Amino acid sequence: MPHTQGLLRVARRITPDPAAAEDLVQETLLRAWRSFDRFQSGTNARAWLFRILFNACYTQGRKLRAGPVLVSLHEPGSEPKPQHDAAPSLLDAAAVTRAIEELSTEHRAVLLLGAVEGFTCREMAEILALPIGTVMSRLSRARQALRERLGPAAPNFTRPEHSAQCATKEAS
Amino acid sequence: MNCREALQVAPLHASGDLDAVTAAAYTAHLETCPDCPQKIERDAYFAARLREIVLSEDVDAEAVNRRVRLQIAAEAGKRVPASEPRRSRRWVSVAAGIAAALLLFALGYRDLLGRHIPAVYAAAATDHRLEVVEQARRTWFDNPAQIEALAQQEGVPMQAIVALASGAYHFEHARLCYLDGRIYLHLVFSIDGHELSVYLRQREAQSLPGRAREIDNGRALHAADAGHEHVASFQTDQLTAMVVSDQSADAALQFARFASTVI
Repeated sequence: MPHTQGLLRVARRITPDPAAAEDLVQETLLRAWRSFDRFQSGTNARAWLFRILFNACYTQGRKLRAGPVLVSLHEPGSEPKPQHDAAPSLLDAAAVTRAIEELSTEHRAVLLLGAVEGFTCREMAEILALPIGTVMSRLSRARQALRERLGPAAPNFTRPEHSAQCATKEAS
Repeated sequence: MNCREALQVAPLHASGDLDAVTAAAYTAHLETCPDCPQKIERDAYFAARLREIVLSEDVDAEAVNRRVRLQIAAEAGKRVPASEPRRSRRWVSVAAGIAAALLLFALGYRDLLGRHIPAVYAAAATDHRLEVVEQARRTWFDNPAQIEALAQQEGVPMQAIVALASGAYHFEHARLCYLDGRIYLHLVFSIDGHELSVYLRQREAQSLPGRAREIDNGRALHAADAGHEHVASFQTDQLTAMVVSDQSADAALQFARFASTVI
């Protein structure tokens, strides 16, 4: 089952604990198996599976997800370490993790689907059964929230031409 | 185009989904805006970093895949080896059987598979096999206060749990689980060194699947075999209960009879 990892990655961040995430993915794959005859050959199977995941989450997981969900991205004491050498400019993994945890489930979902799983806005709209405008708006807000939370910790992106542009405007 | 609009359509531009007019307006905005290009670069950096961090985490997909295969096999009434070594020949044959079952299902010939176990029984059997027999590493609760909270959350009266533990069956621990898309309170009891699972949830309108095997204490007792596991179930006015044993159908039925009288 080639998409289980991706489903688990997302499920772990929209459910309260790892066991619930595994249950959700299990339910997703079983639903897919049972409704395989409804899958349209030639369409995006991965997007179809993620749509089932979110359907299952919304319809059945609501009770488990009641209240604000702050999902731990890792087991306590096993915080992910940066994969690169300790470059001072590399944004700290723990800071990113914390910033993602602080987002609402809706914002976290679009960020994960887009940034991690590589879905386009149109695909996300299909997966989440939302108008594309809503997806774009959520994604924009999620990115803004990340910028606000991580801004000071991120490397400086000011490009010379923009610095010059700003400087020119200020000077004028 | 203003900054808010530019930041909103940036992902569409990146995926090539913008129409020509909007794309031109977007490009024109970026050429003159002092802030947006930097924000968009930051967004791309955060996205790349997030992807890197998430993809570096260890995700045990095989455990979930195995649960799914077991449940599919259980629903199809097949017996799957209790714990097969990975990539063994036996596993290959099981995988081939499941692939064949999937193919048959996809073709709409589900009946060719022969005896079918209702999905909820198959799910209970699979859950018992993995969580109790094979002791998957899950969080269990044995603290009465925590169990009461779980029971309350699921609308299961605590008296029912106390009553189940009042006979020869010794209460071990509890957790919540999904079975066939619904949340159940999973209780484990032991007797003579054997563990049985009891799955409880608030009764809904629908009745239990399958034919009743016997009437006990005025309640219909259902029974089904799902692979190595044996399921017995009944309903009260308030609850749906399933008992799963990996020992024998009699063990499951015996506990179900007891449970139906005390709950």
